[in-house]
Amino acid sequence: MSGVENVEPFGDGFIAALCPELIIFAGLILLIIVPNLGKGTVRIPGTQTRVMWFLGGERFKLTSNPRLPAWIATITLGAAFAQTILSFQDGVDRTAIVTDSGKQLMLVNGFSRVFELIFFGALTLAAFASMNRLEVKGVGPNLSTDDLYNNRRQADFYILMLTCGLGMSVVALAQDLFVLFIGLELASFSTYVLVAFYKETKAGTEAGMKYFIVGSVASGVGLYGLSMLYLWAGSLQFNVLAEQFVINGTDPLPLIAMGFVLVGFGFKVSAAPFHFAAPDAYAGASSPIAGILATASKAMGIIGLLRMLLIVAAPEASEDGTVWLTLLGILSLVTMTWGNIAALGSTNPKRMLAYSSVAHAGYMLAAITAIGAWNWDDSLAGDAGESAVAVLTALIFHLVVLVAFKLGAFLVLSILESDGDASRLSSLGGLAKREPFLGVAMFIFMISLAGVPPLAGFVSKLLVIMGIVKVAVGEIGAQIVAGGDLGLADVHWVWWLAFAMVINSAISMFYYLRIGVVMFFEEPEEGRGGPLPSGWQVRFAVLACLMVTLFMGVASDKLLEICEVAAQSLNYDWN
Amino acid sequence: MAGTGSNTIIDSDMMQFAPLIVLLPMLAFPVILFLGHIFNRNPFWKATMKEGGIIALVVMAASLVISLLLIKDHIGGFAGIKDSVDFLWLNSSVYDGGTLEPITFGFGIYIDHVTVMLLFVASFLCLLINIFSIGYMNTDPVNEDRNHRFYAEFVLFCSGMLGMVLADSFLWLFIFWEIMGLCSYLLIGFYYEKPSAAYAAKKAFLTTRIGDVFLMIGLVMMWDLFGSLDYSVVFDEANIAAVAAESSGTLQWALGMMFIGAVGKSAQFPLHVWLPDAMEGPTPVSALIHAATMVNAGLYLVARMFPFFGSEFLQDDLVDLAFIIALIGGITAVMAAAIAFVQHDLKKVLAYSTMSQLAYIFTGLGCAMFLANTLDWHNDEDAHYIVIIAFGAALFHLFNHAMAKGMLFMASGSVIHEVHHAHHHLHHHDHHDDHHEGDDHHDDHHDDDFDAQSMENMGGLASKMPLTATAMLVGSASIMGLPFIGGFWSKEGIIANAWRVALEDPRFFIPAICVLIGAGMTGFYMSRMWLKTFAGKPKTEVAAHVGPTNTWIKIPLFVLTFVSLSAILFAGMGFTHWAPDSKYGLMSEKSLIDGIAYEINHAFANSDTFFFILTYIAIAIGAVLGPGIALSLYGGNLAEGEKVKAWMKPIIRLNAWVFDRFHFDNKSVANSGLSRALENRLYFDHYYDMAMLKLVAGFSDKSADADKNVVDGVIKKIESGSQSISKVVRSLTTGSARDYILMVSVGALAIFFLLWGVA
Repeated sequence: MSGVENVEPFGDGFIAALCPELIIFAGLILLIIVPNLGKGTVRIPGTQTRVMWFLGGERFKLTSNPRLPAWIATITLGAAFAQTILSFQDGVDRTAIVTDSGKQLMLVNGFSRVFELIFFGALTLAAFASMNRLEVKGVGPNLSTDDLYNNRRQADFYILMLTCGLGMSVVALAQDLFVLFIGLELASFSTYVLVAFYKETKAGTEAGMKYFIVGSVASGVGLYGLSMLYLWAGSLQFNVLAEQFVINGTDPLPLIAMGFVLVGFGFKVSAAPFHFAAPDAYAGASSPIAGILATASKAMGIIGLLRMLLIVAAPEASEDGTVWLTLLGILSLVTMTWGNIAALGSTNPKRMLAYSSVAHAGYMLAAITAIGAWNWDDSLAGDAGESAVAVLTALIFHLVVLVAFKLGAFLVLSILESDGDASRLSSLGGLAKREPFLGVAMFIFMISLAGVPPLAGFVSKLLVIMGIVKVAVGEIGAQIVAGGDLGLADVHWVWWLAFAMVINSAISMFYYLRIGVVMFFEEPEEGRGGPLPSGWQVRFAVLACLMVTLFMGVASDKLLEICEVAAQSLNYDWN
Repeated sequence: MAGTGSNTIIDSDMMQFAPLIVLLPMLAFPVILFLGHIFNRNPFWKATMKEGGIIALVVMAASLVISLLLIKDHIGGFAGIKDSVDFLWLNSSVYDGGTLEPITFGFGIYIDHVTVMLLFVASFLCLLINIFSIGYMNTDPVNEDRNHRFYAEFVLFCSGMLGMVLADSFLWLFIFWEIMGLCSYLLIGFYYEKPSAAYAAKKAFLTTRIGDVFLMIGLVMMWDLFGSLDYSVVFDEANIAAVAAESSGTLQWALGMMFIGAVGKSAQFPLHVWLPDAMEGPTPVSALIHAATMVNAGLYLVARMFPFFGSEFLQDDLVDLAFIIALIGGITAVMAAAIAFVQHDLKKVLAYSTMSQLAYIFTGLGCAMFLANTLDWHNDEDAHYIVIIAFGAALFHLFNHAMAKGMLFMASGSVIHEVHHAHHHLHHHDHHDDHHEGDDHHDDHHDDDFDAQSMENMGGLASKMPLTATAMLVGSASIMGLPFIGGFWSKEGIIANAWRVALEDPRFFIPAICVLIGAGMTGFYMSRMWLKTFAGKPKTEVAAHVGPTNTWIKIPLFVLTFVSLSAILFAGMGFTHWAPDSKYGLMSEKSLIDGIAYEINHAFANSDTFFFILTYIAIAIGAVLGPGIALSLYGGNLAEGEKVKAWMKPIIRLNAWVFDRFHFDNKSVANSGLSRALENRLYFDHYYDMAMLKLVAGFSDKSADADKNVVDGVIKKIESGSQSISKVVRSLTTGSARDYILMVSVGALAIFFLLWGVA
């Protein structure tokens, strides 16, 4: 890995480095302008001459098409996604965006690129699938006012999608608390509105409101923590903060600050007990948006946690592991158990998926805990450091493939929502007979979430568990290779998190497989036996998710390479 | 974690494409299923795509082409075996008593000449059967609108077979073996609305499952011994030496367990009961599963065990197992042939014939294993040749039998198809008034008394279906071992080797005598089948109205007739030496002409007096005595004015002459107790059913009760308990944002507490 190439804003290499974000930005401007293009004229002052200036007035046929914003957004996000993939082709450069005074604002590297991949991939699919979710009534003079407003709001919806993507990728790039917070709030505010956008139901607006209130509180608390960090270190730079932590990380002030920050990001990843608004929000939002919350938004929260816990409050802070190790271990255990137990009895598929998403947050926190334990004994930093990278790789891989099967499941629910309702378990009844493709796809998503081989969900879960065990066994692993004995007492306690993950996976099988039972063995609800609403876009998106779920289960090596580069590039920042 | 690697040097570019041979059919499975579901009843899908038949055809053709290119690179001799790991899925390690053993999960391709031969047999026959299926399945109205299910299951089956052949470990062999088992269940039960078909499918599945359980036990034992199931590990001489030093007895048990799996799959005594019933499936399925491919899986598994028998370190340790293999073969050979005597169903005769011929191959393998295990063949040139040729004879018979039996099944399908068609035609005209539109197709296939498969309803078809009759004739001759045709070259080898071994170890006299008697019995029942079907006068009006068959059906018959006739070419090229010995190249020692001359000389003028006499005894029994009796009992001259092709004329004339002159009344034999026992398949099914009812059923009822009351009770308790916990947990989600913020504060306080506590 070469050194960092510093680029000033709008300097040489700026466009190349931030190409995906600039594409989104251009798409945003297009989205605002294009639907307003029309036969508008302006009168030259003092004369009677009117000159065409193409803004306002009667719209052109193309620009008045209510589907146009959806296509612009999908193509924009797709282009950003493709650009991100292309950037992997010839190795990812490390490019830093710096201010005049040499402070790092953003850092483009393998880590940020992988997360851009997650965000843009999820948003592309969700935007594409939303075309079948948000109804449009066409154009013409005989539309009611409501329909005209409905056509107008199409653009609003997709603008929010793009700002959401922009905010998320800023979080992935941020090297500075201020930039991080800006990105976080940009994405968060977009999601608050997107959740409430499902205004056909009362639950939608209510959920959006609740999500906003609780989210604001969490953000406020988090921001308070960030400001305390600034007070303590006198800087917002990650690298400065990290240096400070090495010197006096056990001071009360940074600890309180970290606690506040954890509350903020805990809400984003929906860790217990900050997850309460999540089931309401998922159930109230339209399914593609709920899918975004469960995948991209969660990945954003994980970035925050990784940055704050692994870079800022670096493991060197304390002799026997990091200060937050016990805390995060307990948080992880509570979160995964709580999520799974709550999901057991949930009869609303979307709430069930929300709780399953809480459980997955628990697994991710377990992985972060294991990384935090990487130097719990100084004598093995070498070996265990390698294991820590393996866990991080597994965590990132998990976040990437989660997009495929979690979002895919939400997209299937989206079709059922268009059919009338997806808020009861029985809404899925007979899905396998009504449309076998969707039934089979949903079943595969479910068993992938449960972690059944040879699907992507199995590989990711296995890698996380293997990584945690590797870290936990640590030095004993070396002893075993030399012919020693393995005793549970010698193993670091994070091993028990892996154990808890296995137990929790077994519990989760119940509610995942129940979906399969309902789809394959139960009859459709009264009056819902007919064909499902048409729409190739959402089915195409489901197919794409299905392909990734199947393919990444057996041929994951390329993606794992990318994830490993990402993990190492974060590791690089530790030094 | 994953990547591409290799164990040995790969000098064939085709190795990297080899997984496609398996993958293409496997991917075609969902494609055909879904397209069939979407485009069902679509005219283009029906007429041009043949309801998926064309997709299957393209995929199987691609598999065959890749197979042939791969085979081309390995047809010559190459040093040792080839093993390339083409795909690595997961790496991990296992803690095993003080050491961390690295284990890998992946799929690789293992190639030696046995693989090459079976790969050719499987991919070649799968393609031909696919062509046949298009002619057979798509022209039968009963199958209309559900053929896509047939083709989907067909390609998955082919993928299972090809994968099993190419796999580089016993584990993958087992996985593909089970895929085949599943597909055979689905295909036999294709007409699942027929109770007999559903029953047959279940029977086949359960019977082979018994064998599979033992196979699995064997594999677990093997894993315990070697710590791996990869061929590269278990066939490694050093590893075998280590195992042999400690536990050669356990290894023999492990191999014995695996052999039981082979017995089930290849329908050998005592797990043979499923094969005749499995004829309920459509004829292409019979050809595919019961002749060409699946039953060979058991043989392949036993052939794969050869390195253990041939290992220097296990010398004389596995003799008992070799004997059991040969003995099971000998018993089945005679038993199945005897049952075939009295069958009237054309396909059932072939089914028993399959069992009997597979038994020959098992006997051959058992004898070869014995020789390899007792002789010092690694150092002694002559012993080496004896072992290799013994093994080669069995493999050659596998090849000949697969080709001939595949053809026979397809020819029988052609006959059944046309008889059924003729019957339907007559029937349709007779009852024209009774039928309403649309429903006239469906019922007559199953419900009326006419049996299109019964030979009692045939006769004299030689003039009406010349190509089918010829194919059937060549196939029968090959199975019977008539001099110069197909199976003769391999069958003589098996018989000779059985006697060679019998002279060494008197126990082997049982299989040796069995295979000799079996040869005569084969001659009888195969001749009987051909004569009853094709010679004599039509026994029913239907048989008199049979017409020629369609082109899709003719192509594979035509091709396979030539393959069976050209067995002498394969023999001349040194097939029997080539197949078992990967270092040996075809025609590397003798030119084709010399090779043929050598084979003929070796077969008919053996310098060893014992084998010289044995050869002629075998020919006398198998090619004269058996067929002779059949000629005198069945067939006779054709109806007036019927003409046959020139090459069948002598046989018809001979039949007419023998029938007129030597015909005798066999009623007393036909009505004897033995005959009745044979017709009831020696009461095996009866006793198996009784044993099932008496022993297993009672136990099953008890287990069901225990499951319902004890296990389900506990599960239900856990479930309701967890549901109530879940309810409590979820009740915290009140729906009020105020409460959520309260919980956030609680969480924040907990965080501070924990952070302070640690710091």
